[in-house]
Amino acid sequence: MIKGQAVVAEIGLFALILALLVSAVQSVVPLVGAQRGETALMNVDRPAAFAQFCLVSISFGALVWLHVTSDFSVLNVVNNSHTDKPLLYKITGVWGNHEGSMMLWTMILVIYGMAVSVFGSNLPPGLRARALSVQGMIGFGFMLFILLTSNPFIRVDPAPLNGNGLNPLLQDPGLAFHPPFLYLGYVGFSMAFSFAIAALIEGRVDAAWARWVRPWTLVAWCALTLGVAMGSWWSYYTLGWGGYWAWDPVENASLMPWLAGTALLHSSIVVEKRDTLKSWTIFLAIVTFSLSLLGTFLVRSGILTSVHSFANDPARGTFILTLLATVTGGSFALYAFRAPKLKGGGLFTLVSREGGLLFNNVVLSVAACTVLLGTLYPLFVDALGLGKISVGPPYFNRVMIPLMVPLFILVSIGPFFSWKRGDWREALMRLRFAAVVTAITVIATLVAAGLSSHSLAAALGLGLGAWLIVGSATEWAGRVRLFRTPLADSLRRSIHMPRAAWGMTISHFGVGVVLIGVAGSMAWQTEQLQIMHPGDSLTIAGYEIEFMGVQENVAGPNYVSTRAKFIESRDGHFIAELTPERRMYTNPPQPLSTVAIHTNFVSDIYAVLGDADGRGGYVAHVYHTPLVPWLWVGAIIMVFGGLVSLTDRHHRVGAPLRRLAPRTVQSTRAAGGAGPSATAATKPQAASGWSYMLPLVGFVVLAGFFIVRLYLVEQGDTPDLIPSVMVNRPAPQFDLPPLLASGHEFKTADLHGKVTLVNFFASWCIPCRVEHPMLSQVVMAGIPIVGINYKDAPGDATNWLNELGDPYSNIAVDAKGRTGIDFGVYGVPESYLIDKNGMIRYKQIGPLTQDVIAKVIVPLARKLNK
Amino acid sequence: MIRRRNHLALGVLAFLAALWLVSGAALAMHPDEILRDPALEARARSIGKELRCLVCQNESIDDSEADLAHDLRVIVRQRLVAGDTDEQVKQYIVARYGNYVLLRPPFDLETYLLWLGPLALLLAGGAAAFAYYRRNTENLDVRPLSDEESRRLDALVGDDAAGSSQ
Repeated sequence: MIKGQAVVAEIGLFALILALLVSAVQSVVPLVGAQRGETALMNVDRPAAFAQFCLVSISFGALVWLHVTSDFSVLNVVNNSHTDKPLLYKITGVWGNHEGSMMLWTMILVIYGMAVSVFGSNLPPGLRARALSVQGMIGFGFMLFILLTSNPFIRVDPAPLNGNGLNPLLQDPGLAFHPPFLYLGYVGFSMAFSFAIAALIEGRVDAAWARWVRPWTLVAWCALTLGVAMGSWWSYYTLGWGGYWAWDPVENASLMPWLAGTALLHSSIVVEKRDTLKSWTIFLAIVTFSLSLLGTFLVRSGILTSVHSFANDPARGTFILTLLATVTGGSFALYAFRAPKLKGGGLFTLVSREGGLLFNNVVLSVAACTVLLGTLYPLFVDALGLGKISVGPPYFNRVMIPLMVPLFILVSIGPFFSWKRGDWREALMRLRFAAVVTAITVIATLVAAGLSSHSLAAALGLGLGAWLIVGSATEWAGRVRLFRTPLADSLRRSIHMPRAAWGMTISHFGVGVVLIGVAGSMAWQTEQLQIMHPGDSLTIAGYEIEFMGVQENVAGPNYVSTRAKFIESRDGHFIAELTPERRMYTNPPQPLSTVAIHTNFVSDIYAVLGDADGRGGYVAHVYHTPLVPWLWVGAIIMVFGGLVSLTDRHHRVGAPLRRLAPRTVQSTRAAGGAGPSATAATKPQAASGWSYMLPLVGFVVLAGFFIVRLYLVEQGDTPDLIPSVMVNRPAPQFDLPPLLASGHEFKTADLHGKVTLVNFFASWCIPCRVEHPMLSQVVMAGIPIVGINYKDAPGDATNWLNELGDPYSNIAVDAKGRTGIDFGVYGVPESYLIDKNGMIRYKQIGPLTQDVIAKVIVPLARKLNK
Repeated sequence: MIRRRNHLALGVLAFLAALWLVSGAALAMHPDEILRDPALEARARSIGKELRCLVCQNESIDDSEADLAHDLRVIVRQRLVAGDTDEQVKQYIVARYGNYVLLRPPFDLETYLLWLGPLALLLAGGAAAFAYYRRNTENLDVRPLSDEESRRLDALVGDDAAGSSQ
């Protein structure tokens, strides 16, 4: 080991500890200064944020350096890297693991803090000091978390020669860049959060506040939209099932803050323009960031297990839960205390821009709550001892679609309402062209696709998409007076149209494009699944797919692959070559299939290569998915709209300086002038003050539940166990042949008359080997065991018994596993205690242990024998 | 200690299950599973998407590579060929594995909150928004103008307006 390099990890660790200390200072001093009005103390905020940024950059840089140089004296590098890995994945592998991803989180947090420090010179000093204080607290929490539970700089001695490598699924550009964007979004909402807390402490929210929060919320929203879209795209092109959204808990964890953040984006417009919906906007800012933290908690704690959580650990879960409780619980308490003092200003009628945005907020919040409910519901039911249930895609689709449809309809109408008082008749008049196009789309879809539940859903989706696309185009046309003034004039208006208005139009247009993608791919995806030999071809949606054969042993940088070649053509014209692969990665040795996709931006042909059948054929799975590319294009359009909006001089960070000054004066004058009416408004508010407590109460209940749950996980409760419905029911009907020549056939009637333990086992099952020595204890207690050899090769099973011994009174063979399924077996070993009347009385999932035998099996058998 | 061991073994199981999951573009279905009758196969697919693969996290049996998922897909098709309705096929599996296998939980005592929750939230949210709106409007101090104020207004607006209001 080279001495010079050896210090890098220590420098990284040291810088992180220093950053922790700085964040402690940053979270206390400016806040105290702001409360006491001492400028010197308040002014600590910016240098502290800058110092934190430098220190965390050094620390993060050190970690990247360690990964790039493959320093295997560091455990984190050993566990996640390998010298074979391409440079790109050495870098992105930094955040492909738990410790590194938390480092990335902290890095992004201090970048945002730094941004406040750089652009914040024109902010009211009190607001800035308090907001940076809150940022400091969040940073403190996360750095403490890293140092106490997830230190990435831990050394190993002796250093191994090479590392364990990175999960091949993560060695993919889509997933490599997905976490940074996701975190840029998650952490970006911490800005709105910090400003919300600062405003609560200060007791005032005004247009200047909203103007500051808006651009940061926009940045976070753009990043999160891109992050979610990338995650979904990754899942589409790597997981090979032709879908892009599975309502998986981890996907839901990123969707919840997105929904809440989208609501926040819209409600902060109302605060900025109309000085109303203030306490609601503050609440949303807290909720959005809390949901980001909750997402992290759910993914990292092991409370939910999911396809995507590559690292989880209950000890870390406890820490994140504490962090979540402090951040969210503390904020809600502050909210309950201070929010009633925030007065709404502007009045509006229900049919108005404000009313529309309020409707948007209600629907998006309910949608976020629904996703939360569906994700956590199985845990609640389980915790209440009501059994296990699953909440999967069919639930979410059924509930979310009807919920979102009214919102999508309103997205086109809302922008036509004016502030304060809108006119829905006029709005609909102006949208008549969009309405006609929508009607034509719906009718044309139904005529073309025939009447079925599929085509109705497609017609609805395409119709909504058309409504949004034409609706937002109409809105733009109205603004630039298209065809009502000379084109040159329209062009001039178009150029001078506020960028924020452009952004809204573009993003809403993007939503329409996304909807078309969703509708088309959900309704019309088709697939072909065949065993193909070289020269075979199949037809899908009018395309010919010819299988040309495979090329074995194609060498990649750190894998060897079998590459298939398909030719896609239509009416004899060559279109594209598709080369799906089956790769075997070397470090770690893991198989991975890659999908081949050819898109023409209207539909995708998607090919997956399956197993060889041993006779020269390969399983090929080909999908044709219409309109799915629109989904990604639409998401990019939405993000583009957000970015355009960000360039509005209103939103330009740091720009408000000149425009802010008169505005602030104005608003204070208004506040002073409206003295009497403000006091008048306090009266009815007092009656509903308790409603501000609701979030806190709700959160306490939720947190209490998580504590119990985490405790159980730490106690060894495995959330994966599924209680059997077969207990206290008669054993199923079966009639199985014996395994050994000395045995006899085994059928349901044989269970009558004596208490028996039926044990499902297989020689290929590792836990069965662990369990095997325990079986003799059952036999010694006088309980006969009948073995059912589950989906095993007879030779393997007899060898296994010869090696380990045969404790069974008889062994039957369930070669196809059908009897296992009738018993409700979902993994071996499983054991059933059956009474004299052939009733199942107890089921053990997983290996029998000394504990279970002594405390459950033997006493129960004794009781049943009486 | 024994508990730990149990845990370890289950950990191994979970790890093996995880291996199935992370092997990337997986081919769940095999061509030999497919029924000749396309209508029956389509029904099998839609049932398969509603049944959970028990050994995986959050995957339907149609999307899962696991062995058990394969067996269940085969059973679904056998039941359909034997003439079962979609509901009977699902009940056949539920009888063995419980409601846990249903990705769309049934509407019963345990799930009232799940199914009705979103609607209740929407109503509550709508009511809260409306209450907010009403409160805001009520706060508006709307009183008819006092005589003094009308006189001042008339003076400001001029005789025309005063004339038309009479």
